[in-house]
Amino acid sequence: MKKALTIGMCIVLLGFLGVSLSYGANTIKVGFVDTYSGPASVYCFDVVDGFKMAIQAINAKGGVLGKKIEYTTRDEKFNPATGLAMAKELVMREEVDILAGTINSATTLAVSDFAKKEKIPFFCTFAKSEKITGEMGHRYVFGVAENTRMVGKATAFAVAKKPYKKFWVAGEDYEYGHAVGEASWRYIKAMKPEAQLLGQTWWKVGEADLAPYITPIVQAKPDMLYMATGGSGNLNFLKLAKAMNLMKEMACFLHTSIELSNLQALGKDAPEGVMGTANYLFYYPETPENKAFVEEFRKMYNRPPKVGALYGYAAAQLIAKGYQKAGKIDREKFITAMEGLTVDSPVGKLEMRACDHQLMLPMFYGVTKASPQYDFHIASDVMTIAGKDYLPTCDEIKKVRK
Amino acid sequence: MPGRYPLRWVSAGHGFIRRMTLDFLASLCSPGVLCQILVGLSRTVILFIVASGLSLILGVLRIPNIAHGSLYMIGAFMAYTVSRIFGGGITGYCMAILLAPLGVALVSFIIERGIFSRLYEREHIMLFLLTFSFALVFGDLVKMVWGAEYRTVPLPAFFQGSIPILGLPFPIYNFSLLLIGPLVAVALWLIVNKTKMGKISRAAAVDREMVGAVGINVSLVFCIVFVIGCFLAGLGGALVAPIVNVVLGMDHTLIMEAFLIVIMGGLGNIWGALLGSLIFGLTQSLGILVWPQFGIVFPYAAVIVVLSFRPTGLLRSTW
Amino acid sequence: MGGKKSIIILLLLAAVLAFLPFGLPRFYTYLTALIVTMGLLSTSLNFALGYGGLYQLHHAVFYGAGAYAAAVMITKLGYNPWLAFIVAPLVAAALSLVLGIICIRLSKLYFGMLQISLGSLVWAIVYRWYGFTGGDDGIHGISVPSMIGSSKGAYYFTMIVAGLAMFFMYRILHSPFGSTLQGIRDNAVRSQAIGVNVRRHQLTALVMAGFFAGVAGVLFVVVDTSVFPDMLFWTLSLEITIMALLGGWFTFLGPMLGAAIIVLLRTFVSTVTEYWTFAMGILLMLVILFLPEGVLGKVFEIWKRRASAEDRS
Repeated sequence: MKKALTIGMCIVLLGFLGVSLSYGANTIKVGFVDTYSGPASVYCFDVVDGFKMAIQAINAKGGVLGKKIEYTTRDEKFNPATGLAMAKELVMREEVDILAGTINSATTLAVSDFAKKEKIPFFCTFAKSEKITGEMGHRYVFGVAENTRMVGKATAFAVAKKPYKKFWVAGEDYEYGHAVGEASWRYIKAMKPEAQLLGQTWWKVGEADLAPYITPIVQAKPDMLYMATGGSGNLNFLKLAKAMNLMKEMACFLHTSIELSNLQALGKDAPEGVMGTANYLFYYPETPENKAFVEEFRKMYNRPPKVGALYGYAAAQLIAKGYQKAGKIDREKFITAMEGLTVDSPVGKLEMRACDHQLMLPMFYGVTKASPQYDFHIASDVMTIAGKDYLPTCDEIKKVRK
Repeated sequence: MPGRYPLRWVSAGHGFIRRMTLDFLASLCSPGVLCQILVGLSRTVILFIVASGLSLILGVLRIPNIAHGSLYMIGAFMAYTVSRIFGGGITGYCMAILLAPLGVALVSFIIERGIFSRLYEREHIMLFLLTFSFALVFGDLVKMVWGAEYRTVPLPAFFQGSIPILGLPFPIYNFSLLLIGPLVAVALWLIVNKTKMGKISRAAAVDREMVGAVGINVSLVFCIVFVIGCFLAGLGGALVAPIVNVVLGMDHTLIMEAFLIVIMGGLGNIWGALLGSLIFGLTQSLGILVWPQFGIVFPYAAVIVVLSFRPTGLLRSTW
Repeated sequence: MGGKKSIIILLLLAAVLAFLPFGLPRFYTYLTALIVTMGLLSTSLNFALGYGGLYQLHHAVFYGAGAYAAAVMITKLGYNPWLAFIVAPLVAAALSLVLGIICIRLSKLYFGMLQISLGSLVWAIVYRWYGFTGGDDGIHGISVPSMIGSSKGAYYFTMIVAGLAMFFMYRILHSPFGSTLQGIRDNAVRSQAIGVNVRRHQLTALVMAGFFAGVAGVLFVVVDTSVFPDMLFWTLSLEITIMALLGGWFTFLGPMLGAAIIVLLRTFVSTVTEYWTFAMGILLMLVILFLPEGVLGKVFEIWKRRASAEDRS
């Protein structure tokens, strides 16, 4: 028994050897908790790469208030308990000034709650749950990525002028799927009272073979099928859409169908004619800012940027400008400075809305089409939806936060 | 008890049940359901190939191989690489189906000779956890070698499109899987029952000491069985690669299903693995029609039902 | 092994743990509380696995059940948190009883696989029942009594509760019941022959193991104020089993040591590299190959050999 205790104490003491040396107060530290292994990781690497590119430029110009911005990452492997523990480690041991992350909504909500208690700013850089800046939003959390409520409203905006009357919603049976499907239908119905929902179909997350689910939908003959899938579910649907030439039977709409993450993975096997929305297209708009951004990213990482890169880049700009405006390294002043702050980005000026701390990104709508220039499809007939048009109103947010 | 219930109630009850059964069978014949059954069957084929390998290893070597899912994933990734080397298309696909499982077999040979063979005398739970440590290692190894991006193996033109079955489009590739599955099953059966190696391995599963006492190199037998089992895992991964996303984390989703199938079917029993895969695949695809929200629950419920009535699995297990 | 020496070392350890929050940065307070929680969970697993010989392959279900019971009672049903803390382990024990009755007829691996199936069913229900359990988002911001809400408060609460739980488990395992249980583990047929009701003993052991897992679940709620469906997933069960194995599953404190190693490894290796599962896999492989009795077991072996060498000289 005593041997056990002695050994135990030795192990515990060994553990404390991991005490990190203090970096000194000469840097602004940002701690990323995200998923860097497993299927979701392909999105998360772009976030940290975009962030790194931005802070390199900022630091080259002397940093912020004389300090350089640094970052460190922790891999939660899509496990929320691990993610929360890592966030705590970043704050309590690594002593970061700002938390950022993650792609897992459960982790994001838990870390957001922790950030509220710790009074430390937390930037949500990918998770899409509308609760993050909605029901469970608070002073210390900032949403950089779009959320499901926004996606729904953008969908309704995009199809408002189209002649579709009969709709079908289908997707993966988890929080994101249901949220984005329900939000889209709600806003479509609000904009088109005569719209009808013929039915809904839900399958388990990651289900590879969607033929048995899609076939009955084809038989029901809706005008438009709204797909509520995420991650690899998008690819499964797009592959099937091509195999069955679904676009001939009905209009298909999928958020991120025009986004590079999905289209690059499918290459020439992607379907044409699928409608979709995305927050970033590297080839549109063809403004000098966007071109410069893409050029720099390509030079640094040898690949074109995906939507995550925009999130990471925007977060870096917000952090730098926020501290600049605050005038000193003070958390409360930083947060106050962030509210209503506007930063430059490859897609134009972005405002961090004060009432709910949501970044007003533009949303792009397009239809997939093969491209002679690239190995993958791109979006054609692109329409830009401004942030103010598809973000929920401040009144809506106030109501859900009650 | 005779006389307890009036006769007319009994006959009415029988009539009711008969009508319900006929209605049910009739509904099974509707195109939607039949298509669903076919899809369930094509899923069964992949499950069977992977589960049969697992069953072999569990039945003969008595190792619950948790790394089986990782080998399946490695098979899929190797298929991607081989297909790319040979320029995609039908050549790339055929070479992938041939070489990827062999690659996985090679990996398994190395770890078997290097590590597993030293541990056959240990408790099952130790072997279980050793294979788990391999699963951890392989998971990160795949990430180190192939990176985190989604990969897709292009479906050769030969397999693209769908054929109408009862008026509904059924993907050609899934159809060809339905043909490949029974071929693999028959090949396996022949190996296990008709070859000398197969007979020795079945004997070793039951009583390895006796087999060793007779002068046969049991260690070599185990090595061969292990490699064949892992080959099957790699084959399953390579076959499924064109229709599924080749991505990190494929190992987790499959391994639990494979284990449940093996337990349901009876350890070490190839036909048991087939039966288990059928039950699993079909309950999943049909369950979705019955209760879409909880469709995932049906296979697990089936396992529970089977184990409640036949605790050692449906068919005879080797131990 | 001098009994007096053990008491002194125990008191020393208690003193270190009592003053830890005042000597070290806040992070270590949190980390120690987490380690002790996982250690308690792993010890409760070993109750059934190491001492009972049962293939408890999905122990995490009871941990998750206890945590979710507490979370739901506090947030959705509005119970007093203290009441929720007491009821939650009972819910876990009840679940353990139900699952136990269904699975106990099977033996060895089949018992484990059936438990995994049933446990996965429970997970699937929790994962999909958005209205009640928060679905895959989990439940967050669980309000804990302010006395134990702070970092220090949560720490001391965890230490006291875990300490009591460990004490009770120790007493049970060293009682006639515990000896009978180990006898059943070693030779069930013989135990049956001398009149022991094997099934009843095993079932009781399972319920106890489930109860203490539920206690660990409550502690997690206090320390982290969140619950996630992953807490009921089979990968966590495997992780707990590894902790027990690593530390030494034939000893009482082995699992606690294993938990400490795994949590420390994950926390500190992940600050250096993203391939920390790889590192964990390699470590586990080494332990299995060279230390079959676990770290603690090996240490005991060395001490025993040295002690007997001293005796002989």
